[in-house]
Amino acid sequence: MKDSQFGTDRRNFFQQSAFGAAAAAGFAQGSASHVVAQSAPDVTRPEVSNEVDVLVVGGGTAGHVAAIQAGRLGAKTLIVERNSQLGGTTTTGGVAFPGLFDAWGQQVIAGIGWELVTESVALDEGTLPNFAKVPQRHWQNQVYTNQFLYAILAEEKCVEAGVEIAYYEFPQSVHKTSGGWRVDCVGFGTKRQVHCKQIIDCTGGAEVVGLLGYPRLRETERQPGSFLFMLGEEHQPGRNQIHRLYVHGADSTNSRTATLANLTGRKSILAKVRKERKRLMHLQPETGFRESYRIQGETVITVNDYTSGRVFDDAISYAFYPVDLHTRSGVKPKPLKRGTVPTIPLRALVPKGSRDITVAGRCVSSDRLANSGLRVQASCMGMGQAAGVAAALAARRGTTPLELPIDEVRQCLRQYGQILPDSA
Amino acid sequence: MKVPRSLVSLLTALCFCVLAGTGVLAFLRPFSLRLVGLHALIGFVFVAIVVFHLLNNQVHLRRYGRSPSLWISLLAVTGLTLVFVWQPAPIRGVLGLSHNLGPALDRFEFNQEGFIYVYTPDPNYRLKLSLRKGRAFQTDDPPELAIWLENASFYHIKTLHRSQHTQHARESLPYWDFKVRGWEKAKLEADQSGRSLAEVAELDGVSKATQNSSFNPKDYIVPYDSEASMPYRMLVEINQPGDNQPSLVYSVEIDNADPRTFQLLELVGYPKQETSSDGGEEKWDLYYVDQTFDTALELIDSVLLTIEREMGS
Repeated sequence: MKDSQFGTDRRNFFQQSAFGAAAAAGFAQGSASHVVAQSAPDVTRPEVSNEVDVLVVGGGTAGHVAAIQAGRLGAKTLIVERNSQLGGTTTTGGVAFPGLFDAWGQQVIAGIGWELVTESVALDEGTLPNFAKVPQRHWQNQVYTNQFLYAILAEEKCVEAGVEIAYYEFPQSVHKTSGGWRVDCVGFGTKRQVHCKQIIDCTGGAEVVGLLGYPRLRETERQPGSFLFMLGEEHQPGRNQIHRLYVHGADSTNSRTATLANLTGRKSILAKVRKERKRLMHLQPETGFRESYRIQGETVITVNDYTSGRVFDDAISYAFYPVDLHTRSGVKPKPLKRGTVPTIPLRALVPKGSRDITVAGRCVSSDRLANSGLRVQASCMGMGQAAGVAAALAARRGTTPLELPIDEVRQCLRQYGQILPDSA
Repeated sequence: MKVPRSLVSLLTALCFCVLAGTGVLAFLRPFSLRLVGLHALIGFVFVAIVVFHLLNNQVHLRRYGRSPSLWISLLAVTGLTLVFVWQPAPIRGVLGLSHNLGPALDRFEFNQEGFIYVYTPDPNYRLKLSLRKGRAFQTDDPPELAIWLENASFYHIKTLHRSQHTQHARESLPYWDFKVRGWEKAKLEADQSGRSLAEVAELDGVSKATQNSSFNPKDYIVPYDSEASMPYRMLVEINQPGDNQPSLVYSVEIDNADPRTFQLLELVGYPKQETSSDGGEEKWDLYYVDQTFDTALELIDSVLLTIEREMGS
């Protein structure tokens, strides 16, 4: 559209205005509206290769924490993520109210996940919950974070820790080698071959474990996923929760089932928009999935272990959330008994009979009811940090995580701010 | 107005028989609106007939008024009335034998071990709260306490008991007092706006009402549909004046859809008023107990809730 009065079109007008404002404020070109991405060598050649100590597959709730931890321990680390940002459920899923970091008046999960949460809240001028206060409902001490800031901070901390990030990529095959693993990943325009000593599978559904043929557990029916959106009201990131659509049958078992879930969710939201005649103010890019595969680990956390607060000998993180199985008829969380704080053992992160691979996140080795409480974000962050320590130390020692002295793993976790039970 | 003496006497006698019979049955049988209603209404008829009875017998009554029996009768009736109103332990023991008068609605009594509170709002539902006192419980100067019910939206719906000697509940039992005031405010707002209490509660921004947000205690205690989950909470706030420690709140969740006969109340925390820089509405929250508490934690050894239900009968 031409604006005859000013002799310019609207797009040029906006560009000139932005430049003018930036110049008036003393900003150099590239600081605000314009930045220049670093150019990569040989961008037209699809084949690339990496030799790293630790490969983290999946940059979600557990993965980015695992990568940062491994990087901070000096391990050469690469993280591959099929989406375009880190954070997973917290960011791409839009469940930007991670929890629970506290139990019964005390903080029980801290470390790198908490560092990220608190920094993003501070930068966003938000507020943290007061853990001394008794929550009336179990979710009240979840921390409202700004999902956009969180994703950027996670990237920044990865870069600071020396972690290389590869978006839009996913492993196609995994092979055992004398030095560890060879993992072939594919992204658009990219064929990456990674040689690594240790793999941390943070894909949610233990996809790498599946590629390797280790047994995984999957229920005949999955809990519903949640598609998050905001209709008719302004969305204020980091201040409130957004609307939630239960997508029954949502299944992240593979790309086909995930596609179906997203199509179903978006179609339903579009119908809502048409019916209620309200503006769609916010829509997450994909469904937040609650359940798919779980590994069969060296230890399986049972619901009795979980609800009794069993302190495992090799506990590497606390977890805290009610048993929270979502069904077609809704959810009735079963709170833990007063004073109970479950723990997660390192052996539940290791696929049974495997070496040089750990998992972290909701695919942790557990029965379904225990998993319904373990799958929440703070616990996944705790698992991620533990997997990062175990993989980095194992890579350094030339061994496998379960052959590390557990006290060394736990001492290292404490050094990096994690809270662990004393008696374990 | 002259009414035949024979008619008045017979009416008086027959009404008295009904009154006496229903009175004894009311003592022996569980509460029945039909029975108690009959007793009360016949009582009104009896009073009316007695007026005619007195008019017909004024000569004899004047003579009785001059006899020494008048003073003996007055003394006896006054004494019995006072004792029955005061209800010392033996009288309460007799009332306790009743299926209706003693524990009909509620009964609260201290004993050697602590206190027992019994609430029987329905013949099929008997709730007993047994508090076993702890080492810091002073029998001579018992702590102040309140027992109340809250719905799933954490709104006060019924106070079952509060200490009679509590003078300043806002200081000694602040959480209960805050909850009661919130409920009264919501009721007032509902009355003035013509909306239901549940609607008002949903809009107050303090606690989001759920589908279990009824304010009618009957919906929870004696629900029509015992299969439907209608969880509610019983809370006890207890405070020993002069111990320089805040009150403590214990609670338990009850759900008739998941009936349990015995449940222990658990310590939730202590109330603290939220400080608001903008001078907003008063708000109290519970906080986890910390190491600053000592004797307050020893007021109570345990609180056991026993609910005997005969659902569907």
